[in-house]
Amino acid sequence: MNVNEGDELPHWTMASVSAERMQTMAAILRDPNPVHWDRKSVRELGLGERCINQGPLGIGYMVNMLHSWAGENCIRRMFVRFPNPIILDGDHIVSKGIVTKRYQQDSLAMAEVETWLERDGERGLIEATVTLQLPAD
Amino acid sequence: MTEIISFDQVTRAKGHKFPGGEYSIQHWENFLLSACTGAEVMHDGVVHPIALFHVPILGSGTTIAEMFALGCADSDMSISIESYDWQLFNPLRENARYDVQGKITEVSRHNDKPEDTGSVYDRIVFDFELHNDGLLTASSTVVWHYNRGQR
Repeated sequence: MNVNEGDELPHWTMASVSAERMQTMAAILRDPNPVHWDRKSVRELGLGERCINQGPLGIGYMVNMLHSWAGENCIRRMFVRFPNPIILDGDHIVSKGIVTKRYQQDSLAMAEVETWLERDGERGLIEATVTLQLPAD
Repeated sequence: MTEIISFDQVTRAKGHKFPGGEYSIQHWENFLLSACTGAEVMHDGVVHPIALFHVPILGSGTTIAEMFALGCADSDMSISIESYDWQLFNPLRENARYDVQGKITEVSRHNDKPEDTGSVYDRIVFDFELHNDGLLTASSTVVWHYNRGQR
């Protein structure tokens, strides 16, 4: 795989974040926080009547972009930060990334990628530094 | 101004070890998890990496609700996420049996600068490890802030 520092990854888009998916996710996670499954509880917080996406789902959008680019099983490490992680149902989210480092480790081709989620061009919702093993040429 | 829980009460959680246990990710769970992210399920029974959020928590014998309670959270909405650090030494696979251990490794109190919000929060670090057949498969470090309001 021909990868160079500074390369931009092909974007991955979640066209419309879904409250139904959040509800399924809440059941899998056993997450009791109603902001993920009860729109009325979010309204009381002044954020409108829209559920708040779980952090792991946002990370999932990044993972899907990385898998589409470098293949399943490419991720070795993800360090994820949450500067402003309020993503609501109906939001249009785009996952983006850039290669910051390309190196060999024990004869394996590796890369480090900075990745982030954007909503209407707004960056800094969720960000991650990811270590990837690249597929062999 | 609100009365803030004493740090002595919160710091008792440091070193708390969860019971530990086994967790096996079923196909239905991986399928639904993947679908929630908008992805197809992966080939050869490989599990979507976002399982590294809930599998360590549930597998070690705790719950999100208990983690909130151990840090003496004021409410569900008083928690904010600083970071998740996930390491995958091997892919997670459906039906594999993972031995999961977890504990609280750090508890510290912080004050935002007065020119910011002047608020107080406790930073709690949870460390989890997943082993399969005695080999470390994955680890997860969860860092949450338990917001206490303004001093």
